[in-house]
Order: sequence, then structure tokens, then C-alpha cells
Amino acid sequence: MSLVKGLVTTMRTAFRRTTTKEYPDVRPELPPRSRGVIALLEENCTSCMLCARECPDWCIYIDSHKETIPAATPGGRERQRNVLDRFDIDFSLCMYCGICIEVCPFDALFWSPQFEYAEFDVRDLLHDKERLGVWMGTVPPPPALDVKAAEPAEIAAARRPPRGTGLVGP
Amino acid sequence: MSTPVNLPMPTLGPVTAYAPAPIRVVLNWGRRYSLWVFNFGLACCAIEFIATSMGRYDFMRLGVIPFAPGPRQADLMVVSGTLTDKMAPAIRRLYDQMPEPKYVISFGSCSNSGGPYWDSYSVTKGVDQLIPVDVYVPGCPPRPEALLQGIITLQEKIAAERITKDSIAAKQPARYAATRTASAAEVTRPLLQRP
Repeated sequence: MSLVKGLVTTMRTAFRRTTTKEYPDVRPELPPRSRGVIALLEENCTSCMLCARECPDWCIYIDSHKETIPAATPGGRERQRNVLDRFDIDFSLCMYCGICIEVCPFDALFWSPQFEYAEFDVRDLLHDKERLGVWMGTVPPPPALDVKAAEPAEIAAARRPPRGTGLVGP
Repeated sequence: MSTPVNLPMPTLGPVTAYAPAPIRVVLNWGRRYSLWVFNFGLACCAIEFIATSMGRYDFMRLGVIPFAPGPRQADLMVVSGTLTDKMAPAIRRLYDQMPEPKYVISFGSCSNSGGPYWDSYSVTKGVDQLIPVDVYVPGCPPRPEALLQGIITLQEKIAAERITKDSIAAKQPARYAATRTASAAEVTRPLLQRP
């Protein structure tokens, strides 16, 4: 009796469409927020070290130096800004928690669903800032807002009239 | 404690070592598409390995056969998970039992370099401290597709290689003179005495 039962299951699944994903030939459909690799948008990074300090594994290495920008106008003040020398993430240590991306106050780090970076040498898993910048190309656009959600803060700010124009509202 | 046994360096015979290029292509072709795999599952990454072996990802499409009865019949060892110091002698012993040519994939952060446990008192900081690793697959845990990509990377490496006695010896870490001389005593530490 159990033999017949088993054969019924076999017959039922034998004609079912196969579920195998043909991975090397067909790209997998990954969810947009899947955690493959961390991408760095270097222009946004102010080397504030928040990500490196919050990383549970301490797998982010940042070096930077200060640069003095001469005054733009005569009598103006010299400005200082941080220049990023080194931004490395050791993906052999990374636990893909995403805390660095959460804490980044300037949106310099992003999740990318890209996962194809197996290496022959473990030292190549330390991605420097150029390689992390390359991953930016694989970052998907952010998911759409809800239907009746408030306008994004960036767009709302851009629509507001600039300060100091002398315009007074009604 | 056992003492190290000095066994001769394993060879594959002159046919493999000095075969002309066309023969070597055929040998490597056979080798890369019949990787009998031995899963050294130690933690959550082993679940991803099992997922890869099941119908949805199905690495038998790539010639990876997960039916090796033990390390003595396996070509490929996938170390997936946190390797603790307690487990370290076992992994070295099982690696030593595998016949040449043998390959190791380190799957996941823990086996790559200790991962989240890199400053733990009891976790080995990467399986490559004990056995030579061919391909490192990053992730915590990596996707099943990432293991498939690691397997493909390894197959490309196998396709290009030429196995001689020297190439087998060169793969071994410097502290092991030959493949089969490591004993359990070498990778374990005696109990510390209270000062």
C-alpha cells in the first residue's frame, strides 16, 4: 500500500514543471534589498569613521587626512575638509549585518545584490575603495514609496524657496 | 598522543605529470566535471550547502556529486561553517585522508578567516591555517548561487592546471613537510597549566 502511495507521489511530481534555477545561464532574480556586497559612493564619504566604529567585526579600514582649501573670496576664511585615503572592507570578515549602511549619515554605503566575487586568495577579499566604487554600478534603485506617503525630504527641500531671497510669504 | 607518520608524497603517476597538452585537457575535463564533494558542514553555512545540493539549485548540473561515502572517496571538500579549535584536528585528518588531486572550497566568512568570531578564544581564524584552500566564497552565509559560482571558479582553475608531484607539494602550507605528515598533536594545544 505504501509502495502505491509512493508511486502516486512519483507520478504526480514527474510531470510537474522543474523548479531548478539554471544559474550560470540564467541570472537569478534577486530581491532588490538582498545583501550581496557593500558598495561605496566615495564622493559622499566624509571619513567620519562612524561605519568603522559601529562595525561589529571591525572589518572596515579607513585612513584620511585633512586638506586646507584656500579662501574663495579675499578676506575669507580657509576651509578644511577630509580627504579619504583608504576605505577597505574585508569581506572575509564581514558578517553582512548592514549596520555600516544604516549608520552612514551621508548615504555613502549601499547594498548591492552582486555576489559573484569568489577568490583564489583570501587577501583579494579585502576590497579597496576603487573596487567598492565599482560595485556602485550594481546597486538597484531604491524601492518606490508607498502610494500616499509624504514627499521625500530631499525633493521637498529642493522645492522650498532658497533662504535670504527677501521673499516674504503671504 | 599519536606521533607523526612519515608517508611518501602522493603521486599520480607519470601519465598525469608528463602528459602532452591534449591529454591533459581531457584529464582535466574529466576531473572538473566529476567532483565528488564531501561537505564539512559545521554551522549555518552548511544549510546553504544543502540548499545548493537540492532541486532548486542542484549542483549536480555542474558535475558536483554529493554522494561521497567519506573523505577517502571525495575530490572536493567544502568547509562550511565555524571551525573551532576543538574541531581542527578532525578537519586536518579528514583532509589528509582525501586522495590526490584534492580541492577545498572555503564557504562563508567563518571558514574564510573566522568571520564574526575572529577574536574568539576558541575559533580557528580561517580554515586556511590548517589546510590549503583553493577558492574562498565570501558571504555570511553566501547565497546558494555564490557556491555555484565558487564551484565554477574552481572548475576554471582545474581546467588550467597541471598536476605534478611538485605542484602537490607546493600547495601545502610551509609548516607541513608533506601532505600526510600532520598529526592531531600538531594542530592541538596541550591543556594549559594553572600558574
